[in-house]
Amino acid sequence: MSYTKPTINRVDFAMMSKYGSPHKTQKVRSSIDGVDLHELTKEYGSPLFVFSQRDIEDKYRVLKDAFSSRYPNVQFGWSYKTNYLNAICSIFHNLGSCAEVVSEFEYQKARALGIEGKDIIFNGPYKPKEALRVAVEEGAKIHIDHLFEINDLEEIAKELGRTIPVAIRVNMDTGIYPQWSRFGFNYESGEAYDAIKRIHSGGLLKLTGLHSHIGTFMLEAKAYGMETAKLMQLKNRVEKEFGYEIEYIDIGGGFASKNRLKGVYQSPEVIVPTADDYAQAITDAIYSYSNGKPLPKLYLETGRHLIDEAGYLLTTVESFKRFPDAKKGYVLDAGVNLLYTSTWYDFNIELDRHYNGLNEASMLNGPLCMNIDIISEHIMLPPLDRGTILTISPVGAYNVTQSMQFIRYRPAVVLIDNEGKSHLIKEKENLETINQNEVIPEHIKIK
Amino acid sequence: MKNKISFFFKPYAAILFLENRVAGGLLMLLTFINPDIGISGVFALLSTILFAEFSQMRQAYLEHGFYLYNSLLVGMGVGYLFAPSFESFILIFLLAVLTFLFSFALSTLFSYYKIPILSLPFSIVTIVAYLASLKYSGLFSTILQSHAIYTLNLPLYINAYFKSLGGIFFLPYTISGIVMAILLLSVSRIMFMMSIIGFYFGVGVHTLLIDSWVGALNDHYAFNYILISLALGGIFLLPTLYNYVIALLGVALGVILVDATQVFFNYYSIPIFTLPFNMVIIPMLFLLGTIQYKGFNKIIKKSPEESLSYYLQTLFRFGPNVANIALPFSGNWNVYQGFNGKWTHKGAWRYAYDFVIEKNGKSYDNEGNFPQDYYCFGQSIISPISGYVVSLRGDLVDNIIGTVDRINNWGNYIVIRSDLGFYVELSHLMQHSILVKEGEYIHLGQIIAKCGNSGYSPQPHLHIQVQYLPTLGSATIPFRFLIYKSSNRLFFHSLPNEEESISSILPNKFLQMQLGFVLDDVMRFEYYKENELIGIQEWKVDMNYLGEFYFTDGKNRLFFYNNDSYFYFYNYEGDTDSILAKLFLLAPRIPLSNLDDISYQDTIPIKLIESKLKRTLLEFFSTFIPNISRRDFDYKITKGTISSSFGTITLDKSSKGFSKITWGENNYLRRIS
Repeated sequence: MSYTKPTINRVDFAMMSKYGSPHKTQKVRSSIDGVDLHELTKEYGSPLFVFSQRDIEDKYRVLKDAFSSRYPNVQFGWSYKTNYLNAICSIFHNLGSCAEVVSEFEYQKARALGIEGKDIIFNGPYKPKEALRVAVEEGAKIHIDHLFEINDLEEIAKELGRTIPVAIRVNMDTGIYPQWSRFGFNYESGEAYDAIKRIHSGGLLKLTGLHSHIGTFMLEAKAYGMETAKLMQLKNRVEKEFGYEIEYIDIGGGFASKNRLKGVYQSPEVIVPTADDYAQAITDAIYSYSNGKPLPKLYLETGRHLIDEAGYLLTTVESFKRFPDAKKGYVLDAGVNLLYTSTWYDFNIELDRHYNGLNEASMLNGPLCMNIDIISEHIMLPPLDRGTILTISPVGAYNVTQSMQFIRYRPAVVLIDNEGKSHLIKEKENLETINQNEVIPEHIKIK
Repeated sequence: MKNKISFFFKPYAAILFLENRVAGGLLMLLTFINPDIGISGVFALLSTILFAEFSQMRQAYLEHGFYLYNSLLVGMGVGYLFAPSFESFILIFLLAVLTFLFSFALSTLFSYYKIPILSLPFSIVTIVAYLASLKYSGLFSTILQSHAIYTLNLPLYINAYFKSLGGIFFLPYTISGIVMAILLLSVSRIMFMMSIIGFYFGVGVHTLLIDSWVGALNDHYAFNYILISLALGGIFLLPTLYNYVIALLGVALGVILVDATQVFFNYYSIPIFTLPFNMVIIPMLFLLGTIQYKGFNKIIKKSPEESLSYYLQTLFRFGPNVANIALPFSGNWNVYQGFNGKWTHKGAWRYAYDFVIEKNGKSYDNEGNFPQDYYCFGQSIISPISGYVVSLRGDLVDNIIGTVDRINNWGNYIVIRSDLGFYVELSHLMQHSILVKEGEYIHLGQIIAKCGNSGYSPQPHLHIQVQYLPTLGSATIPFRFLIYKSSNRLFFHSLPNEEESISSILPNKFLQMQLGFVLDDVMRFEYYKENELIGIQEWKVDMNYLGEFYFTDGKNRLFFYNNDSYFYFYNYEGDTDSILAKLFLLAPRIPLSNLDDISYQDTIPIKLIESKLKRTLLEFFSTFIPNISRRDFDYKITKGTISSSFGTITLDKSSKGFSKITWGENNYLRRIS
């Protein structure tokens, strides 16, 4: 027998609670919305993305209530890039969201779902002219990112012979680091004002909205207060100087979800602002700067905050071994190919049942034959069995859209409806889906 | 001029606890059936005004009725004894000055305890006057007994009542009593009833004690029973069955005091007039006021009927007179423990609420082994009132599930002092989550902390209580929640049940502005009937001397108030057929929140919907069965329109006020500016 380094474990004080559980250190999830995890993997395979319709709707309502109880005219725009599964988009559109897209692909996806042009916000640093023309013709809300786009739009306006209502994207210092200054026109330097002046002098476009997006996973609600205040000040200035009527302001997204950033000690419940925090900061700023004029319509492009906690990834323990440094290593059937966001989040990892034995330092690895395929480098877990199902959450935002077809097929995606019934919303890939766009030139075909 | 004359009538009416000027004028005329009394009374009033003007105290007698009615009584009391003459006028003038001095002194002393001085100055000054007059024999009236013609030949037990009633104005004759009884009946059925019940109950008690029915009926001072009965049975106390019992108890005490004072004062030939009445009512009101007796009539209206309707309307619409606070959170929460809860809300701490968030009947996800599994953990806590933060603590850790902190049982907390004087304590907040500072002024609806699990808290929850004192954990007092939603219905000034799922209704600045009417705001409408324009309706915001705001169409007045959580109408004066009156019916209360597809109930004052005769009957009988005058109606808000069985009213989206109002058969107003 070879030598194994001994492990030293802290003995957890297993306190009896009023619920009678001595396993106070094991996080356990045996079902999602009442559906047993093993039944799900049996039916749809493992790994498996699972979305809870109830979680989506609850979260949406809480955020919508937080805003609409404070402000009379609020519209949410579903951020397609966060998760553009047709079923997920449909849930948000049914709840009343319009679409927020950042490419012609996303634009087409929204149109294919039956969303009208007027209910699409077209953002992004690169909007091909042809895509812009379609968006203009269909009446989409276009948020200009740079001066070239103004030229493009003016040309389209001339061709179509009509004025185009537009909005511009503004970037600004809201005390947040890093400051997102890549997109749109800068506020502090006067660039945004100059861009509006340029639009006004052209006479072919009409400014009707102002847009900004200050960053992502914002843990400080006050930054939104500052953003809103600056947008409102800009609105007041351009309305006065150019006679524009700014119908709406779009404060973008970036609200955090209850995910734990790596290196942050406190739990998300403690540091992540609530829907009320965000809503109060933003609406207070609008009221403070409204100057007694009609209140603008308020657009929000929240993605992550609404979907992240509704998404789970089920993964199965395939094998385990003990590494030379005595750490226990588990190989799972899902890895970084499916969890793009594992780079910056310490996910919540739950066991399918209570396991006997002491917690020990463990590492969770994915199935890829790549050294970087690590889901958790250090986690205290009891000895797990082969076949144990782990639930990784929150993974609703960005993971499905950014998961790679690398080494393995991408898994199926399931939605659990409000009655606790599961529905397949995306099939598992197979060789055909991978190969269908590939072409082998005749001369190298294997005969 | 008209005002000045009617101002002169007021003290006459006030002696009978009335405010009616016509009644005052009639009573003044009535005093002239004995010209000595009439003239002396008027002269006393003039003397008081003269003295007050001379000593530059106009404001005093204008504001406080007691200066005038006390000297009026003194004047009439002198006239009862002496015929008007130069000498008697001098006496009246001096006594009027003395009455003024006593009134000022007594009212200043009594006002500290919020007790009225009633006619006590008169009682004291007449004792002085009659004692002194023993030496002024030359002044005695020679026609003292010459008014027998005013006494009718009715059975003694009827005559005695009228004579006693007349005795209040020194006119102990049947005729004057009949006039006064008719006056009482026309102004207030309750007062008329109480005058009869009080009188005969007093006489009955007296009969038992002196064993003479006739003697008791003939007592000169039996009018004290009537005054006591009126004062307690509808004026200072609300006209309710319970208070009628108190009134009769007062009358019984009056009997003893009448006899006692008579025996004593007759020795010096001093009439006691209203002394027993004052001696009963003043200590009684002192006691009831001090213990904050619930049946106290806090807002004395023109008649007991009006006082009672006002009280009942307020009770039906705004709940009992306790602290009202908003819910301390937003969104949907569940009541975990209410008043007199089965776990910890006991004894001095019984008036408290615990809230958690539940989904599918559970307050936590998974097994609930970690605070963050609980849905309410980390939710925003918002201020339920506006006021100053008086104390707080935020450093205590959130307990592991299953353990509690028995030392710091309130956990992290905030105590806020309401602008209205009471204190609100919020407990078990999350460690380091408090966003406000001690001494900071915070507003209703402001986010102040996060829900946590500190202190004696086995699972994350929010505890809220109201107290009289700022001390952490001091005794709790009853309160109500100003507004909340429970299954698509709004509740005002109510308390949710345990386990009930309720949603908070946040006030919204947009609606606060939209219904934030200020002085001189005008709404103009085109008035259509059967789709034909038949006129213009214009409502303007105005204010009265009490600082109350109202809409007026030039003639009628509709009073409103905006309490930051909802806008409401609370009083209407004028023609009940006007369109302005419809506004009260259509939107008695408008929550200042964006709401859709939600209904609520409100109570409409009977004076707006019932005929005069029916109203008179309802007002009288509601002293016995309060609920018969309750008229509840359902209202529903759908996308900015409030609809009810009366019609619909739509809020204007672009400016203050309402854009369209419809009612009845095809009547509507359309906003034009």
